[in-house]
Amino acid sequence: MGDGGDHSVNDASAAVQLSAITKRFGDVVAVDNVDLEIADGEFFALLGPSGCGKTTTLRMVAGLEFPTEGSLKIFGNEVGTLPPNKRPVNTVFQDYALFPHMTVEANVAFGLKMQRVAKAEIAGRVQEAIGLVRLEGLEQRRSQQLSGGQRQRVALARALVNRPKVLLLDEPLGALDLKLRQEMQRELKALQREVGITFVFVTHDQEEALTMADRIGVMNEGELLQVGTPEGIYERPVNRFVANFIGQSNLIDASVVSGDTVCLADGNHIPGRSDLPVGTRVALCLRPERVEMHPVTAVPAGHTSISGRLESVTYLGNALVYTVANEWTELEIRLENQPGGFRPYVGDDVAVSWMPDAVTVVRA
Amino acid sequence: MSSTVQPRGSTKIALSVHSWLVYLFFFAPIFVLVVFSFSADRNVGRWGGFTLQWYQDFTEHSQLQNAVWVSVRVALLSTLISVVLGTLAALALERFKFRGRKVFDALLYLPIIIPDVTMAVMMLLFFSEFFDVLDAWFGLDLQKGLGSITISHIAFNISFVSVVVRARLAGMSEVLEEAALDLYATRWKTFRYVTFPQIIPGVAGGALLALTLSLDDVVITQFAAGPGATTLPVFVFGLIRRGVTPLINATSVLMLTASVFLVVLSLAFQQFSGRSGRPSLRAARQAVSAKPTTNTHIKEGIYQ
Repeated sequence: MGDGGDHSVNDASAAVQLSAITKRFGDVVAVDNVDLEIADGEFFALLGPSGCGKTTTLRMVAGLEFPTEGSLKIFGNEVGTLPPNKRPVNTVFQDYALFPHMTVEANVAFGLKMQRVAKAEIAGRVQEAIGLVRLEGLEQRRSQQLSGGQRQRVALARALVNRPKVLLLDEPLGALDLKLRQEMQRELKALQREVGITFVFVTHDQEEALTMADRIGVMNEGELLQVGTPEGIYERPVNRFVANFIGQSNLIDASVVSGDTVCLADGNHIPGRSDLPVGTRVALCLRPERVEMHPVTAVPAGHTSISGRLESVTYLGNALVYTVANEWTELEIRLENQPGGFRPYVGDDVAVSWMPDAVTVVRA
Repeated sequence: MSSTVQPRGSTKIALSVHSWLVYLFFFAPIFVLVVFSFSADRNVGRWGGFTLQWYQDFTEHSQLQNAVWVSVRVALLSTLISVVLGTLAALALERFKFRGRKVFDALLYLPIIIPDVTMAVMMLLFFSEFFDVLDAWFGLDLQKGLGSITISHIAFNISFVSVVVRARLAGMSEVLEEAALDLYATRWKTFRYVTFPQIIPGVAGGALLALTLSLDDVVITQFAAGPGATTLPVFVFGLIRRGVTPLINATSVLMLTASVFLVVLSLAFQQFSGRSGRPSLRAARQAVSAKPTTNTHIKEGIYQ
């Protein structure tokens, strides 16, 4: 876990530190022995399919769930069983959870009012927060009178006005349509840079995580599988699940022969670097955009290749996606739509080839 | 713009005739009641010229006056207490998990389901046994009256209030409460500033329902009442046995007016609280309209 050259976090500066955190609901293990450190000022994404435990993890940091086992620290202070109102964190909820009986202004002021901040200061800070998310002029509206994007901003202002040490965001963009989502992605990232607060956000959208996060934690079935920078995770996934979940991958079954060779199902030995013991079942992870396609007789020198029959072609405009299959595997190839390129027809025999450094060996 | 689902031709006529017949069926008795409350003839059903005599009689009839005040006091007190207890019960059932929750849930519906007479007999037995015990222990001489009527009304009103409040709570996302906790509110402040403002329409609907049920009840009150005090509906019931005079008409018209006022109030509140207030008030209205008929209707009204 955590390989791939990502910067390690030193204890004293960790904004959030989870040590051996486990959460059970009855017999169900929602979060299984998770260790994680999130640095101060970091934009961190918890990524995974629904039901993987990412939201439960976030809720434990918020104090809305208490861990069954383990230690949870925020800036060095143990907060495992502190109620949410005693933690220096605020949450942007999935459906925003704006108070429908209050105006935008009252929603934003709520946290400060509960902390008994002086009235004059509340007014100033609320204005500042509303300005920060560019909602001036909508102070007296109610949440029913706002669009999805505006509600999102109110939820952000309502949390940020309290100047939390960590801001938690639970699928913050899930309810928005694509265009608005992309716009908010940029804005959220800019906002985080501006306020300098640690953001921890939960998402099931790998593209969103790659676009926004400084570091990503990939979760599945309650386990934290890999933590790293977007690049580290995309380039060097630790296992089959991560390789498949982050971007698209061709996964070819193989077994380790030596430190730099693996054996494919057809008995061929090809290059593949790993430090796994000889005989380990592995998968070769080949990104569709890293492979090439050539006539069987014209494989460039230095390339490793697998031959098969072209099964289908999907025209995407800027690119073409080809599916090539043989008796033991099926590969997807994505090629830029360049004039004069190799254009085979369905049914042709072709060779799929790649440079040895395009392949990553992952645990099967 | 006419849609294809709009009835046409003879169907349209038949439907409109039907609805007028239904309204006639509803309102003709009320009309007769109101008209004859102004009749000078002692015999109900024979017009003897216009008079306000019976309304004057009503204001001078000390027993009737007494019954009105008992009714009002019982209604207000039982509503107040059952709204507090019913709301707490609704919160507990909707928000907390605890041992015996299902049993409590089922038991809470019991007063809505069981027939009034059964409930009345239970109350009668309970009060006589309970008072015997208390009398024996503390040397008292307890009588049924205002207190026993109020307690019996609270007993059935809690159920109705909690059903209405629960409908409202179920429509309110728990996430709002979590958001309040996350924004530094204590549990009490969360209730005070978030949960309660959200369920006010339900609580108000429940209160109006309780008030109406308490003012209307005859059967249970009759068994729980004692020589000391009796409510207006029970007193009127007693009057009828001694022969119907337009005084009863006048009394009924006044009761009717009070009921209409409550209904209008509830509608006004619904308008005021906007769209979000509807489900629970609808449940309340259905329960109100169901209660005086039969118990099967109540179940439909409550459980739908």
